[in-house]
Amino acid sequence: MTNAEMNMGLGAPAPKVIAISPDAPRRGKLVVAFLKEYLVLIMIALLVGITAAVEPKFLNPANLINIERQLGPLMMVSLGMTFVIIGGFIDLSVAGTINLVAVVTISLIQPLGQGTALLLGLGLGIVCGALNAVLILSSGAVTQAEALFLTFGMSTVYSALALLYSHGSTMHFWDMTASKALFETIGSGKLGPFSVSFVIFLVCLALLWFFQEKTVEGRFIRLTGGNKTAARLAGVSIARSIVTIYVLCGFMTAVGAIVLFSRITTAAPTIGLGFETNAILSVVVGGTTLLGGKGSVLRTVMGVLLVTLMSNCLDLINVSTYLQVAVKGAILVLAIWLDNRKQA
Amino acid sequence: MDGVGSDVILSIKDVSKSFPGVRALDNVSVDVHRGTVHGLVGENGAGKSTLMKILSGVYERDAGTVIFDGQRVERTTPHQSMQSGLAIIYQELNLVNKMSVGENIFLGRFREMKGMRGTHAKAREILDSIGCNIPTTRLVADLSVSEKQMVEIAKALSFKSKLIIMDEPSSSLTGEELVELAKIIQQLKSQGISIIYISHKLAEVFEFCDVISVMRDGRIVDTRPTADFTRNDLISMMVGRTIENEYPPRPQCVGAPLLEVKHLNTRKLQDISFTLHYGEILGLVGLVGAGRTEIVRALFGADKVRGHEVWIDGRKVKIRKPMDAKEAGLGFIPEDRKLQGLVLPFSVESNITMAAFRKFSWFGLIRKSLEKGIAARQVAALNVKTPSTRVPVRNLSGGNQQKCIVGRWLELSPRILIMDEPTRGIDVGAKYEIYMLMKEIAERGGAIILISSELPEVLSMSNRVLTIFEGRITGELIPERSSADEIMSSALGMARVTA
Repeated sequence: MTNAEMNMGLGAPAPKVIAISPDAPRRGKLVVAFLKEYLVLIMIALLVGITAAVEPKFLNPANLINIERQLGPLMMVSLGMTFVIIGGFIDLSVAGTINLVAVVTISLIQPLGQGTALLLGLGLGIVCGALNAVLILSSGAVTQAEALFLTFGMSTVYSALALLYSHGSTMHFWDMTASKALFETIGSGKLGPFSVSFVIFLVCLALLWFFQEKTVEGRFIRLTGGNKTAARLAGVSIARSIVTIYVLCGFMTAVGAIVLFSRITTAAPTIGLGFETNAILSVVVGGTTLLGGKGSVLRTVMGVLLVTLMSNCLDLINVSTYLQVAVKGAILVLAIWLDNRKQA
Repeated sequence: MDGVGSDVILSIKDVSKSFPGVRALDNVSVDVHRGTVHGLVGENGAGKSTLMKILSGVYERDAGTVIFDGQRVERTTPHQSMQSGLAIIYQELNLVNKMSVGENIFLGRFREMKGMRGTHAKAREILDSIGCNIPTTRLVADLSVSEKQMVEIAKALSFKSKLIIMDEPSSSLTGEELVELAKIIQQLKSQGISIIYISHKLAEVFEFCDVISVMRDGRIVDTRPTADFTRNDLISMMVGRTIENEYPPRPQCVGAPLLEVKHLNTRKLQDISFTLHYGEILGLVGLVGAGRTEIVRALFGADKVRGHEVWIDGRKVKIRKPMDAKEAGLGFIPEDRKLQGLVLPFSVESNITMAAFRKFSWFGLIRKSLEKGIAARQVAALNVKTPSTRVPVRNLSGGNQQKCIVGRWLELSPRILIMDEPTRGIDVGAKYEIYMLMKEIAERGGAIILISSELPEVLSMSNRVLTIFEGRITGELIPERSSADEIMSSALGMARVTA
């Protein structure tokens, strides 16, 4: 925002001469401040530039389409995770939730029909999130660390349920006789130039951004993350914020799970493996602070973009999977380190 | 004049420091002499803390020179300045609670001390030199605030400090502990050690200091020997205007009962029952830890309490959580501004509006223009000094931060406002403004429950006081008719008094 705009907002017309003269040297500082704030953009640009130079295949349309489709599920889960982290908590249960929602939803297509299966799948995500919230509230676990362990435990519970429910077997679309056109559209349909999953993502992003910026509920979450004690003493319901963030995260995780198995047309009970770390990595790399209170779904979009691009680039230049995990870990550490320096 | 070989231990010349949007220090010059106690007073935001942080190396100065003990000080770090003999004892003491007194004094230097035995022996020696008999093996967590302060002083001495800066050392000391501190300051002085004494409590400054410097708006307004100042001089220099009285006359408009609390019992409180009237300021007096804060927290629903009754306007209300209290017309200004009151990284605006969602939302949607209006109205009404309502509240001085919290509740026009230590750590000018607000609230028919550790404040502002001792109400007095001694002895549980 420029000086002129800010003055307009405050309603006081500022003398032009004063407004302009200190602006000239400050503009450089503003650029530096912007780049510091959005370091992730520089990293994306560097990554794209270097990979495109080293491996021209990166810019092939086929590869770009591949990236666009890979983005979807992680995007959904990370958008949900963003609110949990803004609220000052964390949710490690998303991997388990994905496993459970995927196998249950796919198994219901045959007996109940695709529409019902879809709704029940989304409902199951909400139930998982709500259960996390209820456990956190009833056990009095009000710190991020406690929530971390609690949701980690719940992740294993949800994964175990997924294994028990599916008897450990993978379910495929091609085994079904009932219509699954809805899921096939979600997985590989097109809407104009975009894939359907991308459109779903855009709709979710728009709604969640609106929720984050324009609703009282969104503000409650931010205040809860900023200072729980102060928010509570000002009459903000912390319990309500906790329920909202976990239910929202559960729901978005279910959306992610459905997009994921629809794209690959199969659901194994271990399909969600690694999603929790990737989602948290994306949120934090995007610049939402683990301390709570600050962050945005828009930042998360950049974070997911970086994380997904990185996987793709490392794949293209044949970096081993083991090393990729190490790189991701290093980036998470770097992001937290930079964030703490910024907060200090 | 450059301090070499002279009796000047610290010479600050033309030091300036700016932060974005604020000139925190503006050509500050001052000399501190060896073996003197140099008082530094000023309102919050006057620049005292900034100056101290520049001396200790937390901040870098933009311009000017600092000569300490004959040496020009260029870039320094807190550790280096400590090594060179300049120690700072902050208001929030920097000790490791889970370690012993001796270990704290020589933290990180056990090897120099040749192990634990040497550490404790040397610590004993230093503590004895200031006449302090705390066992060096005691855990710091078990010490009182004043004892912790002694440990800090001993730590400073262990570095052979020539200058010790004490930032608000007396803010949580009792009367007796203050006498102890006075003795130690005398002792340090006689050893040729200089002290910079920063305090809001003018009585102490007059008693302890040989020289006083007054700061205002980033400048040193005046430095004179203490004898050349009167109390009123000092106050008017600090605030830049004359203040006739420290307290406004108390409101005289007590009406019918507004709030009744019956049989409040917790692990710490025993059968607390009291009544608050329309237009009344009710003071709760007691030692720290007597249960004053617990009473108001329970009333406000901040702590889980069962079994008591709360009646407002003759109607029974259930307050289970702070939200219920807010709905019932209560407001609460908690004792710890930074931890319990504010969301420090958030804007002044969100901090002011955070209790008033009903007033700027429509079916759960935020209406930004209304929110801005609320913040602007309170900032103007309370005279909050801030460059804009969008800056983080962290950047404001203590008094202005407190005003944001007061404004947060005033926006809701609460009938009952609970104020727990509302003026702690804020300057004379802002204090007076808060007192005026209290008076205004009472005169408009609201009622206030005031908790304060500063006895003159409670006595001057309250229409009635309840004395609390070990979780019980031990007396009910009218300050106009009782002496401070009577009230204190009641608060110390020595006599049960009823007015």
